[in-house]
Amino acid sequence: MSRRIGSILIRAIITLLMVAVLNFVLFRVIPGDPAALLLGGARTSVSAEQIEVQRQNWGLDRPLFPDQVLDYLSSTLRGDFGYSFKFRGRHVADLIVERLPATIVLVGLAQFIAIICGVMLGLYAGWRRGGAGDNIATGASLALYSTPAFWLGMILVVIFSTALGWVPGYGAHSPGAIAGSLDWLLDYLRHLALPVTAVALGLVGQYVVVARAAMSDVVTEDYMVTARAKGLTGGQMLMRHAFRNAMLPVVTLITLNLGYVVAGAITVEAVFAWPGIGGLTVEALNARDYPVLQGIFLLLGASIVVANLAADLAYGLLDPRVRQ
Amino acid sequence: MSESIIRYSGRQARAIKTFLGRFLGYGGAQVGLVCLAFFIVVAAVPDILVGPLQTAINATGEFLAPPSSQHVLGTDEVGRDVLNLVVHGARISLTIALLATVISLVVGTTIGMTAGYYGGVVDVWLMRFTDFFFVMPSFVLALVITPVVVEVIGRGQEILGFRPSLFVILVVIGMTSWAFVARIVRSQTLSLKERTFIDRARVVGSSNFSIMVRHILPNLVPQIAANGALVVAGAIFVETSLSFLGLGDPLQPSWGTLLSLAQRAGAASAGAWWYLGAPGACVLTVSLSFVLIGNALDDTFNPRRRVIP
Repeated sequence: MSRRIGSILIRAIITLLMVAVLNFVLFRVIPGDPAALLLGGARTSVSAEQIEVQRQNWGLDRPLFPDQVLDYLSSTLRGDFGYSFKFRGRHVADLIVERLPATIVLVGLAQFIAIICGVMLGLYAGWRRGGAGDNIATGASLALYSTPAFWLGMILVVIFSTALGWVPGYGAHSPGAIAGSLDWLLDYLRHLALPVTAVALGLVGQYVVVARAAMSDVVTEDYMVTARAKGLTGGQMLMRHAFRNAMLPVVTLITLNLGYVVAGAITVEAVFAWPGIGGLTVEALNARDYPVLQGIFLLLGASIVVANLAADLAYGLLDPRVRQ
Repeated sequence: MSESIIRYSGRQARAIKTFLGRFLGYGGAQVGLVCLAFFIVVAAVPDILVGPLQTAINATGEFLAPPSSQHVLGTDEVGRDVLNLVVHGARISLTIALLATVISLVVGTTIGMTAGYYGGVVDVWLMRFTDFFFVMPSFVLALVITPVVVEVIGRGQEILGFRPSLFVILVVIGMTSWAFVARIVRSQTLSLKERTFIDRARVVGSSNFSIMVRHILPNLVPQIAANGALVVAGAIFVETSLSFLGLGDPLQPSWGTLLSLAQRAGAASAGAWWYLGAPGACVLTVSLSFVLIGNALDDTFNPRRRVIP
């Protein structure tokens, strides 16, 4: 047990380290020295000596390895991700923390809806394998699985915002809304409706597919035949034996999926100008704001590694067979 | 060697026939193959079908005009025919996805086979390396790597007929999406290398390299093919997403780039459903086709253990 957890932790730490090192390497292969890059706007009025002083201040005159790498790793560990190019002088960490809540709300709500709908539908389809409901559910979820979530978002805007005018298709708040009031909350929820639907639809197909596969595996197991032979009704078999065993792979997938969820949300946020991490990513990409981009990559990498850690540990708790 | 080929050719032909019979028996495979054949033909000869790629200079229609008899799929914000753009986009999107898949399969197979065949320390370190790419989604890696590499190599000349940013996207997708293939190939190699025919080859004096290439690799083809189809679907998805975020090249627009242009032109709030609908529907059809083909291949080779039902 402890040996298993130990090796899982080591793997997680190695992955995180590789994320950080990749971050460092990427940032340093960009042509032009960071000092010249930052002072570039004022190139004519900045003398070579001034650049040299700046290089020394930032430790750029020391060797890349090990000095600069270690410097980078230690400042990253302290939560110092450097300064943004585009938002002059702002800390990257501050920018990210500012934008994080909007993404967490969007992704959290969409995950919740997709899990409830997707897993239920998938388990049902697997239980009634081969029926009409199964065929429709499987076909629809394979189609959703193959569709980029952001395109679903664009289609939703055309239908529900432009044509029908039911909900807004842009931003998170109407102009002039006063924060804190009930109207403000309702306005926020109306703005949230389409992005959440798009992200949830993008996820639901995958959950149906996996839950269905898990359930169809369970249904053919010997213990299900035993349960039937004992004289259990279909409902009892489903609740007591099938459901819990089928949930095992589903729980793992949902935990592992975090990286893909956030990645999908980035493009959806771009469609709706949602003020979250995705919006920040697009702004950073367009302005080639590398420090912000690196910070976002680090954040995504860290959350993916943590999610994997959680999945591995949860699996041990859920399935006693893994512990040995 | 040539004798043995002749001796076994009858059996081989029969095996291929049985395989095709079962594979084509799946409805999903039929739908997927028909759609794919259609798109491959379209991608092969875009100029014959709709003429050369339209630009803002030789655009033929009104701005954002809805579908009409003259422009079956309407026009975009500078008056280009959307059908023309989508047909040319098919070529870009499909080529990128297929070439990225080739890279991914070559890297994944090489690493998986080496790790499985040699075992020991080689296996441990190669798999630790693979773990990183398995854990990090290709899209997230490509999102940071692509802009940096494009900056390094510059945006000037074309590379192998691709604009630099497209070439980088293609290579980056290939280099970041092989981990799944490597894992499957490794586990398959682990079981294959214990078989008697590998012992026989070793006794005869074959080198490790020759055993891997001539004896193990042919037995891996089913797994590689089934997963390759899923890798293509993934590559299309990543390419579309990256291009949508503005990393594509407007001079060689893929479907993702078209969606990005539509988004920037405000096509959704203008209600121009034809402009954003056409490229998205193509992405959906092609990637669904590959998923269906992949599933059917997997079912045919290995009915009990399936990736997706």
